[in-house]
Amino acid sequence: MIEFLSRRLVAALVTLVLATVVVFAVVEVLPGDPALVMLGTDARPDTLAALRAQYGFDQPLSVRYFHWIGGLLRFDLGASHAYGTPVAKLIGDRLAVTLPLAGLALGWALLVAVPLGVFAAWRHGRASDWGVRGFTQIGISIPNFWFGIVLVLIFAVTWQIFPAGGFPGWAQDAPRSLLSLVLPAVALSLSEIAILTRVTRSALLDTLREDYVRTARAKGASEGRVLFGHALRNALIPVTTVAGLIAGFLVAGAVIIESVFRLPGVGQLVYDSINNRDLAVIKNVVILFTILVLAVNLLVDLAYALLDPRPRVTA
Amino acid sequence: MNGFGARAARHIGFQVGVVLLALFVGTALLSLVWTPYAVDALQMRSKLLPASAEHLLGTDHLGRDVLSRIMVGARTSLAVGLIAVGLGMSVGVALGAWAAARGGWVDEMLSRASDLVFAFPAVLIAILITSVLGASAGNAILAIAIFNVPVFARVTRGAALAMWSRDFVRAAVALGRAPVGITLRHVLPNIASVLIVQATIQFAVAILAEAGLSYLGLGAQPPTPSWGGMLRDAQTYIFQAPELAIWPGLAIAMAVLGLNMLGDGLRDLLDPRLRLLRVG
Repeated sequence: MIEFLSRRLVAALVTLVLATVVVFAVVEVLPGDPALVMLGTDARPDTLAALRAQYGFDQPLSVRYFHWIGGLLRFDLGASHAYGTPVAKLIGDRLAVTLPLAGLALGWALLVAVPLGVFAAWRHGRASDWGVRGFTQIGISIPNFWFGIVLVLIFAVTWQIFPAGGFPGWAQDAPRSLLSLVLPAVALSLSEIAILTRVTRSALLDTLREDYVRTARAKGASEGRVLFGHALRNALIPVTTVAGLIAGFLVAGAVIIESVFRLPGVGQLVYDSINNRDLAVIKNVVILFTILVLAVNLLVDLAYALLDPRPRVTA
Repeated sequence: MNGFGARAARHIGFQVGVVLLALFVGTALLSLVWTPYAVDALQMRSKLLPASAEHLLGTDHLGRDVLSRIMVGARTSLAVGLIAVGLGMSVGVALGAWAAARGGWVDEMLSRASDLVFAFPAVLIAILITSVLGASAGNAILAIAIFNVPVFARVTRGAALAMWSRDFVRAAVALGRAPVGITLRHVLPNIASVLIVQATIQFAVAILAEAGLSYLGLGAQPPTPSWGGMLRDAQTYIFQAPELAIWPGLAIAMAVLGLNMLGDGLRDLLDPRLRLLRVG
């Protein structure tokens, strides 16, 4: 198992190093002169030169790349051009909105999807199973940002239960802050609910066909005990995998949802940074997201190895 | 093919998918020759009108006819989706087929490269590209196409590898045919159904992505109507004219739902092995 995990760890590190090269190339090499990108074509030559000196754009590419990587390792991400504050602090503040949002969305998705998937598998082939499958088909087809707008229409414009957008800040008003994350989290979770329901349903149907389930039935176990005591435990292995894969992408998917609800999260930071041409922020946020996705994938592998002994042997 | 028709006639999901797709493509084509109003006809006196006989879906904040804009928006979605998936598919299938035919270091290198693309969330790829190259429909297409390359490369590689071990392909190898010829003549035609199903699903994903990007202002630029852009505008006027936020979203959902149902239907109809698995 150690060998299996260390191989995965090495593969993830290789991917990460390649990712830093790609991001560096796209952000700092592809546009030609990054200073020109940040200030625009009508900038004065002396301002451009000052910015080049400030960000070290006048140094060779390899020096700039390793300077950036060295900073990343020390959590020193440089300063934001638009905000004038350290990028690390900027991202940290914004994560205080994005991480709870993604966490709420994932929790809500699991809370709805697992029982719904179990229900559909239990009623396999009947009308209610078809109903659940129809719901999942619609769930993956609706853009989550439009679902968010519809939620605003219903719960903020018509009924005025939840705020239509904005975020007061945890320190200022924690209960209202939590309240303002509810609609965004529900909107963000729609397609994840659909996907996780499908995975739960099909995984449970697969395990219900296994020999050990038949044995349990033959020994006279009740249907409830077969479903929850024997089948569900193993069916949850693929559900964990998919939930983990989704978790990494929930944070990135939050970019659009944060824009719908005007939440000051990482997504909004990236979006604003594009408009401000704040390359230092963009570069580091993309790498942090990539680290997050890779780390979550590793955790999924770990969970997988703990829950299911088979991949340890075959890997 | 006769069996396909008979099975399609019994597959309700497939039929719903065909009808929704026909509606989507038909609307886009119709908008080329006719829309109720010109899409850019500003009438400041008749802005934010509710639905009426004159304007079936009302007017927007600049007095433009919403139905006309939705019709032309279908064209934008269709064009961006088709070109992006077409580009991604061409490159991805070629790379995947190459990896399967060649094996060894080519295969290893391409697998690592696709891992790399998958490690970046798709939205961020799009944001990176548009932040450097500027926001436009063309760059949105590029961003969506890049994400599609590894998807098709993986599917093609997997399906093609299975083909290379089949007897008729090994016979062709024994006859001394070149790998390129075998790939074109034997491998690709036999994995076409898998690729068609994948392309349908990716088309749905691409339409969602295009809508998301143009909602963020990173897709087709005004005055070109796009469903995502219309939703962005609608949100500003959500208290005055809430129904403006309904129609473009419904249009996206119907187009995507149609393609998803068509893709699932095609998978059931084209791949008998999967069909058998589903019966159990």
